[in-house]
Amino acid sequence: MSELEIPPAALRDAIAHDIIPVRPLAAPHIRVLWLTPIALVLVILAPAAFSVRPDVARLGWVLSWGASLFETLLGLAIIAAALRESVPGTLVSSRAISLIAAIATASVVTITVLTWRVSPTPLMDRGPGVVWRVCVAGTFSSALPALAVSLALVRRAFPLRPALAGALCGLGAGFLADAGWRMFCHFTDPAHVFGAHLLAIAAAGVAGASLGRRRR
Amino acid sequence: MVTGKDSSADDEELRAVMAAYQRGELRAFDELYRQLAAPLRGYLGSFVRDRSRTADLVQETFLQLHRSRRAYRPDLPVRPWVFAIARNVALMDRRTRARRPQGDGELPELPVPAAAAALGDRQALSSALHSLDDERREAVLLHHVWGFSFAEVAQLLGVTIAAAKLRSSRGMADLRGALTTGPSPPITNRGRQ
Repeated sequence: MSELEIPPAALRDAIAHDIIPVRPLAAPHIRVLWLTPIALVLVILAPAAFSVRPDVARLGWVLSWGASLFETLLGLAIIAAALRESVPGTLVSSRAISLIAAIATASVVTITVLTWRVSPTPLMDRGPGVVWRVCVAGTFSSALPALAVSLALVRRAFPLRPALAGALCGLGAGFLADAGWRMFCHFTDPAHVFGAHLLAIAAAGVAGASLGRRRR
Repeated sequence: MVTGKDSSADDEELRAVMAAYQRGELRAFDELYRQLAAPLRGYLGSFVRDRSRTADLVQETFLQLHRSRRAYRPDLPVRPWVFAIARNVALMDRRTRARRPQGDGELPELPVPAAAAALGDRQALSSALHSLDDERREAVLLHHVWGFSFAEVAQLLGVTIAAAKLRSSRGMADLRGALTTGPSPPITNRGRQ
C-alpha cells in the first residue's frame, strides 16, 4: 500500500471525531412527497379563505381545478428537479433546465390564453393597481412556506450549484402557490396574468436563488 | 501512470463500503480513502497547476465527502458522486485563487488515457493534457482514464450526453494534435461548449 492510500492522521482524526451514523436520502421523487400536504393546502387556501372565482362554471372543470392541479404537479416536478440537482453526480443538464423553463412558460401562456377565450374578464376600471398588488403579494407570500420546506430538503443534500437549486425550488413553489391563487383571482386578462401572477412566480424563483446561495 | 479504461465493476464494492460509512464505520472511511485517493489526486491535478495544492484538495474533498455523506444515495454509483464533490472543491479553490496571485508550482503529472499511450512518452502526454482546454481535458480524463460512461460524465458536469461526447472526442483530437505538432497554449473556457 503506497503512502497515498493512507489517510493523513489529521484528516482521519477529524473524521473519527465526527463519525456518526446517518440515514441516506431517498430518491427525489420520494422526497418531494413531503411537499404534497403543503401543495394541497395551497390549492384550496385562497379560494377557501376568500372566494372561489365566479366564472368556475363557465370555465368548466378542466380550465379551473384541472389547470390548478396541472400547475401543482408542474410545481412538484420542478422541485423534484431541484432535489435531484442537489445530489452531487446527478446534476440537471442545461438543456433540461431550458426545457423546464420552456414547459413552465408554455403552460402559463396556454392556460392564460384558453381561460381568456372562454371567460374574458378584463380589469377595466376595477383598480388595476390594487388587484396587481393583491395578486403579486398573495401569490408570492403563499409560495414562501413551500419555498422554505423545499430549500430545507435541498440543504439536507449537498447542492453544488445552490443558486440554481434554490431558483428551481422558488419556481416550483411559485407554481404551487399560483395553483390556488388563480382559483380566487378571476381576472383572465393576459396583461394581468403575466404582469402579476407570472411575475410573482418569477419573483419566487429569484428569492429561491438568493436564499439558496446564502445557505451554503 | 498510464491508466486504461476502468469499468465500474468495482462500484458494487464501493457501494457496500459507502453504506458502511453511512452506518458510522470508521474503517469504511479508510477503505474509501484507499480506493479513491489516487484517482482523486489525478483528477484534481487536472484542475490545479501546482502539484503541492493537489494533496490539500484531496483532503478537502474527503472532508466535504464526510459532511455530505448523507446525500449519497445507495442506488447510485459512488465514483460519480465523489468526483462531483471533488470537482466542486477544485472549482471553489480555483475561484478563490483567481483573486490572489499564484506561485509557479510544479505541474502535477496527469494520468494518461490508454487510448493515447502509444502517441508519446508519459511526460509528453501529461504535458499535452495540461495544454488542452479545461472542459475537454476533464471529459477526456473522466471517460478515457476513469471509465465513466458518457451519461455519468454528463450528470457530473451538468451537460447533455451529446455535449459530454463532443468534449471528449474533441479533447482526444486536440491531444493527438498536440502530440504530433507540439503543445499549444491552453485555450480559455469562455464561450466554449
